[in-house]
Amino acid sequence: MTTLNVNFINPFIDGTLNTFKIQCAVEASPGKPFMKGNGPTLTAEIAATIGLASKEFCGSVSIGFSESLFLALMGNMLGEKYTEITKDLEDGASELLNIIFGQAKTVLNEKGYAIDKAIPTVIRGKGISFNHLSSQPTLVVPFETQHGPFFIEVVLEGQRN
Amino acid sequence: MFPAETRILLVDDMTTMRKLVRRCLTDLGFTSVTEADDGETAWPMLESAASTIPFQLIISDWNMPKMQGIQLLKKVRANEALKTVPFIFLTAETEKTQVMDAIQSGATNYISKPFTPQTLKEKLALVHAQVQKK
Repeated sequence: MTTLNVNFINPFIDGTLNTFKIQCAVEASPGKPFMKGNGPTLTAEIAATIGLASKEFCGSVSIGFSESLFLALMGNMLGEKYTEITKDLEDGASELLNIIFGQAKTVLNEKGYAIDKAIPTVIRGKGISFNHLSSQPTLVVPFETQHGPFFIEVVLEGQRN
Repeated sequence: MFPAETRILLVDDMTTMRKLVRRCLTDLGFTSVTEADDGETAWPMLESAASTIPFQLIISDWNMPKMQGIQLLKKVRANEALKTVPFIFLTAETEKTQVMDAIQSGATNYISKPFTPQTLKEKLALVHAQVQKK
């Protein structure tokens, strides 16, 4: 059974650091991962989520940004200064997650996970927190940057529905 | 390098990514960039332009709703008027099997996301050299 171990999570952390650095010129530092419910409740102003599916498991990876960080990421990426998250900017959250997912999927599939392609979805609102419909624990990885915090959440079910 | 007036079709479902690539292309001096938000939108644009002022370079994402980039590539390569148009994938799909699939289906080159403007510039120069050799 596929579980949330270091081998599974690290490609997502590496993909996140790499994507932020190359695409947005932002250095991020991962904090100590924790199981949801055993640490602070992290919330976001904009978030994206993508399905994880293979023949053996399903689940999701989500990313949540503070508004200040997201504006800085988009500003750096697009070479402009933004003061609010407009409709045109929203899909930047899903594009960043898509790039992170692509890198992690490449590493994991080389190890035989056979994760399918997927398309992310964006979520907007104040104080967004993810409520995964899963009986399995959710791993939360908090990150810090000079522009504000963000986090990723990963949840896996042992069997595909 | 491709001339500044090269007519480029940029296909990506993400507004922010199209904006980023357009900015990179503009910074490189390109003056004719048209956008499509997926393969299904891009295909009639390509077909229609082929009989008038054809596109001379296609830069496309792979993973898009409706028609995916690989399907668009196959349609382009199967079309007599379009089959030699350089086609570059710019995508987060970076697995070896996918790169091989793209090359075997006729992709001219492949850029993995995340990418830098310098990578895009180098790939464009490489593709131009490839096209000139043919």
